[in-house]
Amino acid sequence: MRKTWTATLALALPLALAACGGSAPAGTSNGGGGQSGGTIKIGSLHPLSGSSAADGQQMDNGAKLAVEAINNAGGIKSQGGKKLELVSADTQGKPEVGQSEAQRLIQEGAVGLLGTYQSAVSANVSTVAERNKVPFVIDVSSADSILAQGYKYTFRVQPSSTVLGTSGAQFLDQVAKAAGKPVKQVAVLHEQGPFGTAVRDAFKAEAAKAGIKVEPAIAYDAASVSDLTTQVTQVKASGADVLMVAGYYRDGVLAAKAVDTIKPTLNAVYGVANGAFDLPQFPKEVGAPAEGYFDANYHADMTKPDMQALAKLYTERYNDQIRTGAVLAYDSVQVIAAALEKAGSADATKVRDAIASGEVPTLIAGPGTIKFGPTGENVNATPILMQVQGGAPKQVFPADKAEAQPVYPAFKSQ
Amino acid sequence: MTFSPDQDHVAAGNGGGVATLDPDELPAPAARSVPWLRIVVIAALIVVAIGLAYLRAGSGVVVTQAVVTGILIGGVYGLVAMGLTLIFGVLDIVNFAHGSFLALALFLTFGLTQAGLHVYLALAISVPAMFLLGVLVQRGILAGAMGKPLENQLLITLGISLIIENALLLFFGGNPRSVALSGDRGVPILGAVANLSRILAFLGALLLAGLLYLLLQRTRLGTAIRAVAANDTGAQLVGIDTRVIYAVTFAIGTACAGAAGTLVAPLVTIEPTTGSLFNIVAFVVVVLGGMGNVVGALVGGLIIGLAEQLGGIYLPGQSPLLSVFIVFVLVLFLRPQGLFRRSA
Repeated sequence: MRKTWTATLALALPLALAACGGSAPAGTSNGGGGQSGGTIKIGSLHPLSGSSAADGQQMDNGAKLAVEAINNAGGIKSQGGKKLELVSADTQGKPEVGQSEAQRLIQEGAVGLLGTYQSAVSANVSTVAERNKVPFVIDVSSADSILAQGYKYTFRVQPSSTVLGTSGAQFLDQVAKAAGKPVKQVAVLHEQGPFGTAVRDAFKAEAAKAGIKVEPAIAYDAASVSDLTTQVTQVKASGADVLMVAGYYRDGVLAAKAVDTIKPTLNAVYGVANGAFDLPQFPKEVGAPAEGYFDANYHADMTKPDMQALAKLYTERYNDQIRTGAVLAYDSVQVIAAALEKAGSADATKVRDAIASGEVPTLIAGPGTIKFGPTGENVNATPILMQVQGGAPKQVFPADKAEAQPVYPAFKSQ
Repeated sequence: MTFSPDQDHVAAGNGGGVATLDPDELPAPAARSVPWLRIVVIAALIVVAIGLAYLRAGSGVVVTQAVVTGILIGGVYGLVAMGLTLIFGVLDIVNFAHGSFLALALFLTFGLTQAGLHVYLALAISVPAMFLLGVLVQRGILAGAMGKPLENQLLITLGISLIIENALLLFFGGNPRSVALSGDRGVPILGAVANLSRILAFLGALLLAGLLYLLLQRTRLGTAIRAVAANDTGAQLVGIDTRVIYAVTFAIGTACAGAAGTLVAPLVTIEPTTGSLFNIVAFVVVVLGGMGNVVGALVGGLIIGLAEQLGGIYLPGQSPLLSVFIVFVLVLFLRPQGLFRRSA
């Protein structure tokens, strides 16, 4: 019995070590780097393990590619060509872990932070950044409340929930009117957290201006929901002609499966900042029923040659398709690097001022460059409209960003 | 292994006419009958809950859909919880790794379907594979902790779950995966609609629950398992090799998680953390049904499935876990020993 025990332990131990290595590469790789005077450190805080690990790893990879691109182009020239060094930390998607990891990265000498995907984590990290006077650039986290604190050291590249909800309603109204079938009633299915609620409120307010009735608005818990057929049946019973869904990946897929099962009479299923409907694996997982799904979301601009090159590089390097989160992380590193260049110093306060007054080109589809307003919001952050066509998400609206024409009503037979 | 010839004596320790594995159970001849009164009360409460939901929703179809969905998902919860409750009843181990075993089975099923196997044929591989893993884990890792304080085993199983989850993340990455069931379509039931894959998962869960019940009640192995659950020292004295029974029982429990994993594969998004979604619910179901009670686990699963769906109508916008825990707290308050376990 003791023999088997030892043998199993021998088998299990390497596995356990491998697992640790997988979840905390940051801690092991930067342990000895505290004293390296030749580089400027930037901290990347993302959920590398836990339920958002796929997105977190994408974003960390995006940040790595940005640092690599800047170093290959000669580093920070105003500071004698100093190279950047990315120090990655795993937030595990937990606010308290993100907070302590942010503190650790700052103590290790990071002059700027980027992250973190979850709004709750970003809120805690922004407090740490403010206290330590180190600039924090949010790549993904949409809750409005983060930048409503009057913080001076926090900036956001992606659009806020309010911008997403408002633009989402405008796009829907315009696309439907252009097709000659104005929307009468929208049913909303949204995750119950700050993100879903803020998107719902902004969407509802803007839709009301266009004379669209928003009813019912049904909330669900994204973390533990296992089925949405009951909710979609409620939508069917309400007689709405469009279903708006604001949520994440897994629940987005559940919603699509439920719509396929219940078959409500809809002209369109319309995501606003939906974490599923504009991802390439969504049509793969849901299959043919995914055809025609809209998503009004911030998105990488695939019409830009630089973006196409980055997407190609990402696929070669990581054997995966790049997501918009990774592009936002890439842009966020560019924001910090441009500020380092402009400030001519690695002093965190000077870097902060340079970020606040700077202007940086972006790979995200939008009206212009990344430029921050007085509250730290990117004034040019806006979503675009995507639609699944021919088994892949395509940019369809506004016209100058369109790869294809929007199809509305999105479903033929219903 | 040899079993006690005095099987009738062991069987007398089995109370309530259901396959309880309660180690604290006292032999009570009168309790061999099915607890009809309790079943009627539970059924009546469910009917009242559905009736109130009709009043609240004002739409028959929505409630019918909620009930159908709740029962179908409840069957799967029951299957997951049966494995957990079996392990608790016989080994006295609170198995935190149960959800991870389910996740492992999900990935195994994904791999097998990628290799061209039909998803339900994958059961023929995933169940034995998970059984084998269960034997290895019990004999290799948990055997040394048997009889030690509860927290020792608890921490070991927690560790196993972390290892499995992170190993899956390491080898497969965090990208969501899915298993498609060809020919999956909506099936109308009394005005509501349910996916064929959900109905098949439910029927599969019921079938496996029936097999497990027969195994425990009608076979020598099942009698031995129940004997060990009732009194392991006593079982040893009559010649039952408890080490074998421990390993086999743990393996049966793991195989339940394996079967559940394969059955739900077409319904869920497959990620390393998918198992933990089922874990919380399974623990609630186990305590609700009475720790160590296999039939209680199935009934508890159905109740929790219904509570989750009807709760969405009563309390729109709240986590499905809220209504689950409201039911849970009420049951603990009124019947601390669980629905189908007599007080010690």
